[in-house]
Amino acid sequence: MLLSLLTKRYPGMRAWLTQRLTGLLMAIYSVVLLIRVLVLTPSSYDDWLAFSRPWWWRLATLIFWVSLSSHAWLGVRDVLKDYVPNVKIRMVLLKLVVLALWVYLVWITLLLCNL
Amino acid sequence: MMNSNRKVQSTNPKKVRPKNLNLFTIRMPINALVSILHRVTGCALFLALPLLLVTFQLSISSASKFQLVQDLMHSPIAKLIVLGLAWSFFHHFFAGIRHLAMDVHWATTLIKARYTSKVVFVLGGLATLLLAISWVF
Repeated sequence: MLLSLLTKRYPGMRAWLTQRLTGLLMAIYSVVLLIRVLVLTPSSYDDWLAFSRPWWWRLATLIFWVSLSSHAWLGVRDVLKDYVPNVKIRMVLLKLVVLALWVYLVWITLLLCNL
Repeated sequence: MMNSNRKVQSTNPKKVRPKNLNLFTIRMPINALVSILHRVTGCALFLALPLLLVTFQLSISSASKFQLVQDLMHSPIAKLIVLGLAWSFFHHFFAGIRHLAMDVHWATTLIKARYTSKVVFVLGGLATLLLAISWVF
């Protein structure tokens, strides 16, 4: 079954499938975001809060961001593997990317919780 | 894909073999261009994440900060950055959809792949143009 590819037995297939599932999730979120913007046309601060505040939208945004973290990690990891041949420099950059993505995830979580 | 008149030096092992990694010596077909730009735009979007978070934080923190964001968005530099990132997003989006389609074995022949590459460029450009018309002007 397709989902068995997500287990640790197949790290390459797992990365491949994760990249696609998270991409699909983010694509759906982006389309819903576009439709909401076009329908609700938030222009004032109050509009914007009303736009961002519904619990389900905040949850969707959090799911989007978790997907984004995983998607960006796999993508940037592959790019760094391809273009930074020096192992030491690459390891430092990879750790910085992981750190940045965790900071962003905590950051957006706090923003969404306090909205 | 590779430059046809590059020197092949396999007869003498002491000589440095050409790696041909200079991008300017490689003529890229449209599929390769979509692919490399998928990477470039992905990196650009990753680098733009802190900017997105700061803007979102400002926009929800108070009415005056919201106004500040709106005022900042009126500057030409901000518009250029936003449109650049918007194009990055649209290209990444459509090229990603194309990848997903190919993963389910749709449009995998060379002719179809070339055609969908053009579609990706047109849709990305069109989406950015629509945004520019509706927001910038």
